[in-house]
Amino acid sequence: MIKVANLKKSFTGQAVLRDISLNVAPGELIVILGESGSGKSVFLQHLIGLLKPDSGSIEIDGVDITTLSERKLLKLRKNIGYLFQEGALYDFMTVYENIAFPLHEHTRLRLKEIKEKVLNILKLVGLEKAGMKFPSELSGGMRKRAALARSVVLDSKILFCDEPTSGLDPKKSKEISDLINDISRRSKCTTVITSHDIYNSFRIADRLVLIDHGQIIARGKPEEIELSSDPKVKEFLI
Amino acid sequence: MQRIIQFFVSIGNALFFLGNVFFCALKGRIRWGEVLKQIYEQGIQSVIIIAMTSFASGAVLALQGYVMLNRFGAKEYVADLVALSLVRELSPVFSSFIFSGKAGARMAAELGTMNVNDQIVATRALGVDPIEFLVVPRMVACFLVLPGLVVFSDLFGIFGGYIIGVADAGIQSSTYIHQTLRAINYVDFFSGFIKTLFFSVAIGWVCCYQGFHTKGGSLGVGKFTTKAVALSYIVVVISNTVLTKIILAFWG
Repeated sequence: MIKVANLKKSFTGQAVLRDISLNVAPGELIVILGESGSGKSVFLQHLIGLLKPDSGSIEIDGVDITTLSERKLLKLRKNIGYLFQEGALYDFMTVYENIAFPLHEHTRLRLKEIKEKVLNILKLVGLEKAGMKFPSELSGGMRKRAALARSVVLDSKILFCDEPTSGLDPKKSKEISDLINDISRRSKCTTVITSHDIYNSFRIADRLVLIDHGQIIARGKPEEIELSSDPKVKEFLI
Repeated sequence: MQRIIQFFVSIGNALFFLGNVFFCALKGRIRWGEVLKQIYEQGIQSVIIIAMTSFASGAVLALQGYVMLNRFGAKEYVADLVALSLVRELSPVFSSFIFSGKAGARMAAELGTMNVNDQIVATRALGVDPIEFLVVPRMVACFLVLPGLVVFSDLFGIFGGYIIGVADAGIQSSTYIHQTLRAINYVDFFSGFIKTLFFSVAIGWVCCYQGFHTKGGSLGVGKFTTKAVALSYIVVVISNTVLTKIILAFWG
């Protein structure tokens, strides 16, 4: 369970998040929609403790992460998968090594078991032939899939994805959205995605949240959002 | 006024960064596999250029020294001049400059690129301390590699001086070797060596700190890497003056 209450954040006097409150139920898949610069990514970085809020609280399974030290946050993050917008794969490691990295760091699995797990997940994301390639040798879509594989390899029960479809063509966007949806449903993990991809967000989300200028302007099931009469929501959905 | 405050804040941040590195290292959180990779990369990258520069420095010192000393009929002392100058002062400082320009720039650029591509923040998101994973191995490797390179530089510099002394100045080979061994005692060697240990920490610190805090995309990587090298030169030059004064006061 994720509970965000009255979250506020400013950078050099400019308010980026203004009093955001949101609850995410276990196993739920939420998509946070908003224009570029609306505060979606900043919000997501708060959820994993990469940024500290000016005020407000973020509870993950009953623990307020805003009060934790960096060392305790590092421990907590082992249980959370985070997909960065550009993938953020280590460019000095192969795809295989990138995916195996969290397993080496946080598990006591043997090399054989790690190999088996990495090969399985490479197959799941459709990169079984790209394991020995470096990130610079991959296309944008392949990089995203490799990064997704790294973020879920520890079987985390929480997954955060920052703009997983940005920079991809419609076909690849649909593929990566379906892949996240599939992995999320299969492992029953609580998933929060930020996006401005309206089509795919409506397809996969249990619930949608619309953010504008750091404030939530609408929330609800896709069909509820679609029927909203709020002019700002209508404008965004056009 | 704001610039002064900003200056002291950045000094504080840099000291905090160094404190974190020492804390990790003293707690034994050193990834020796990564250290070995870094030793290989930093050492191999610098060794040829340091050998060439040291050889040339020793040779030039011998050429210039011979011209001066020959006027007083003391050409055999060329060996003393070359050995003492190199071991006490020139090798530690020149090697540190070269190391900073090659390995230091590499460290800053690598970390800088990782930072602008979100790889450092991704390390945190993966539940791994980026100081432990990325910075400590580089700084430990610096600390181990640079002193070794300086000893290497001493030997190549003395060899450069020997070639000129024997081939050009006509000093007998055995005389040159005897003079060199007689000239250097352990105080001379360790006064240079201790400075090198300090320089190795300073270069690693400055370059890793600049790389770790790089921002502004590819332009930023260039800017921060240049800044890292320039700052490490300044730190080496200033600290060399202070350390030389302290060492001379204690050891003479």
